[in-house]
Amino acid sequence: MFKSPNQVQTMLVPAGLLMAALVLGAGYVQAEQGTGYYGYGQTATPEQIAGWDIDVRPDGLGLPEGSGTAEDGEWVYEEKCASCHGSFGEGVDGYPSLVGGEGTLSGDGRPHKTIGSYWNYTSTVFDYINRAMPYTAPRSLEPDEVYSLTAYLLFMNYIIDDETFELNQDTLATVRLPNEPNFIPDERPDTANTRCMTDCRDPAAIEIKSQATPSLADELAAEAAETAETVEPPAQLAVVGKSVYDQSCMLCHGSGLAGAPKVGDVAQWQGRVAVGSATLYKHAIEGYQGEAGVMPAKGGFMNLSDDEVKAAVDYMVQESQ
Amino acid sequence: MNKQAELDSLLQQVAVSGEKLTGTDRRDFLRKGLTFLGAATATAAAGHMPTVKAALPPEEPAYGKTLGKPVLFAPYGSPSKYESHVQRRTVEWLTPDRISSISFTPLADLKGIITPSGVMFERYHAGLPDVKPQEHHLMIHGMVERPIILSMDDLMRFPSVSKIHFVECPANGGMEWRGAQMNRLQFSHGMIGCAEWTGVLLSTLLEEVGVKPEGKWILAEGADGSHMSRSIPLEKALDDTLVVYAQNGEMLRPEQGYPVRLVNPGWEGNTSIKWLRRLEVGDQPWYHREETSKYTDLMPDGRSREFTFVQECNSVVTNPCPEKPMMKPGKVWVEGLAWSGRGKIKHVDVSFDGGVTWREAKFTSEVFPRALTRFGLEWDWQGQPAMIQSRAIDETGFVQPTYGQLRAARGENSIYHKNAIHTWKVNADGSVVNVQIS
Ligand code: HEC
Ligand code: HEC
Repeated sequence: MFKSPNQVQTMLVPAGLLMAALVLGAGYVQAEQGTGYYGYGQTATPEQIAGWDIDVRPDGLGLPEGSGTAEDGEWVYEEKCASCHGSFGEGVDGYPSLVGGEGTLSGDGRPHKTIGSYWNYTSTVFDYINRAMPYTAPRSLEPDEVYSLTAYLLFMNYIIDDETFELNQDTLATVRLPNEPNFIPDERPDTANTRCMTDCRDPAAIEIKSQATPSLADELAAEAAETAETVEPPAQLAVVGKSVYDQSCMLCHGSGLAGAPKVGDVAQWQGRVAVGSATLYKHAIEGYQGEAGVMPAKGGFMNLSDDEVKAAVDYMVQESQ
Repeated sequence: MNKQAELDSLLQQVAVSGEKLTGTDRRDFLRKGLTFLGAATATAAAGHMPTVKAALPPEEPAYGKTLGKPVLFAPYGSPSKYESHVQRRTVEWLTPDRISSISFTPLADLKGIITPSGVMFERYHAGLPDVKPQEHHLMIHGMVERPIILSMDDLMRFPSVSKIHFVECPANGGMEWRGAQMNRLQFSHGMIGCAEWTGVLLSTLLEEVGVKPEGKWILAEGADGSHMSRSIPLEKALDDTLVVYAQNGEMLRPEQGYPVRLVNPGWEGNTSIKWLRRLEVGDQPWYHREETSKYTDLMPDGRSREFTFVQECNSVVTNPCPEKPMMKPGKVWVEGLAWSGRGKIKHVDVSFDGGVTWREAKFTSEVFPRALTRFGLEWDWQGQPAMIQSRAIDETGFVQPTYGQLRAARGENSIYHKNAIHTWKVNADGSVVNVQIS
């Protein structure tokens, strides 16, 4: 079998000597190079590991130093979480609700799964908030904030009753969630269909139980119309933009005819670009009367699709930076 | 000419050009200095019908009478513009926004078993991150002898392998647990894609770092804002888990985890962490949010199954389907896709009468383990209503279940792992509807 040079050397010299030899022999090899069979990469230092090793386990392993109470958490929650999850954890605009749902897991109704009704470990609450929330600014919370938010959500779910109970490295794992005993291992395969080929069932007993709303024809027609207008795939937009510009816009915008801002003239475009592309698109598509003159709708080329005009605008802006 | 007159005449010109840019007008137009590309645009805008007519013999089609575009017109090519309807789509009501959301693979328009990278379904939990390969690193640590940090260059020096596997979200078809709901194949089965994945076997990297005897589980974590994390048993990691940097012959698409992701063949797509930055070896699972709050299966008795990794045997007919209705009576090539997270597909049977009689279909693609497999068979349709189903059997002998069997075992609250035999109802007018039958 093919052997890497490293391995050949490893067989001849002890690892320590090998490292030394590599360091001396090749200037670019750093002391912390990986020491495995291939030796690629660098040894991860404890400081590096600590920075990324954010995970927390049910037994509390991985929890950082710090502490917090539900009392503290209420304020942080109101400021950083309530806009999506609701002041009472009820969830707004379709964002997840974080409380309630006790007793909904079995029976006929819809299950409502929350920290209180469904999750199995407190550590998961801490870990998830710390790694992913708040949604728009993940990894922005201090450990104390995460402890207090965890405490607050446990309080809101009636898991802890004392608003001043201090959650920290030692206490967090002692708080248990009610649904913990109800998780079981995978039991599949749990179905046993057989391969029947003929007379497999009574045709008379076949009944349609449910049917998707067949509004598809309309939808497809609408999409076909839409895609017919935007035939150019996005990757070619730059190319499209230039060709549309060359044939439909250069007329005025190449020379500054009729008062049109000249493409390539940064000063003439600066102010317009600053207003934002939405306005530029609108003006280019619908036309408008400005101080410098009249920009006809689509430059007069009504056969251009909106997307083609937009592509031309993008191209013009890009050429005038 | 004064300025105003100049403008007026110009406006007149362009107005004319926009309206009737065909025939003799085109000749005038060209003389006036406008390029012929304008004509092409106008023709396209006029719709496809005239082009089609003109292309029929004895006529010579227009594109046979002109020069085409030069090389490098598109240095990185895209599909024909006439295929622009083949797109990922989303179902808006599924998620409150498009940042933590999902889009679906357009299965009805795809051929063979390889999903083009650009239309493979997307699933993000914190949006699509912009990861620079020069900045990105993968750290492997925990219960190992030699914790390491690998740059992308480092990673790509290891021996590589290429494997064809599907990646499927376990929620694929999940909207159908309580009844037929999605009115297209794209939405009923489109949280799946199959690709050739190239990368390093995770076992190679684990040997490099030296797993300590206590090591039993691996935590995989992403670098995006969700820092998506899943616990994976060491057994799987040493078996076939891949640390992937390329898909279908090129570097991963950003949507698929560029520059590096995990692929756990045959397992819940969610475990195939994208934008992978960290692998930690431990002695217990971590029970993170995506393996407790989500991706656990609630049973009717109120208990929940955890770590239900395997994507069981499943199949669906892709032609006909709601997006591809029957065109006219006669012989029809019916085809579809089958897959199993437990290995290769062994047989696929198709029924046209709602499961009374079945005929075995042929495999029309290669059959790889834990990959999409294409099947097909001929059907003589005489305009009668029909109920088309497909039933896959994998190499373990497992037979895809009926809805009845699946619900008897798991109730209706599972969300994930819905792999029941699917029914398309073909109406006499050729339209195709998603139904569930008794
Ligand atoms: C801008 C909206 C937004 C804000 C603000 C926000 N979240 Fe979230 N939160 C979400 C979304 C969206 C999800 C689901 C994400 C997913 O599944 O990918 C979520 C999920 C959660 C979950 C898991 C719910 C479950 O049942 O699995 C918890 C717990 C949570 N957020 C806590 C917080 C906390 C604590 C804060 C404040 C620090 C916060 N969130 C701020 C949008 C938000
Ligand atoms: C007949 C001459 C003419 C043609 C042809 C023309 N434009 Fe213009 N365009 C103008 C004039 C004049 C203005 C300046 C209006 C003003 O700001 O007073 C203008 C302004 C603009 C602006 C700036 C809008 C803003 O809000 O500042 C954009 C963008 C633009 N045109 C795009 C296009 C595009 C794209 C085309 C080709 C499809 C095109 N134009 C063709 C005359 C023309």
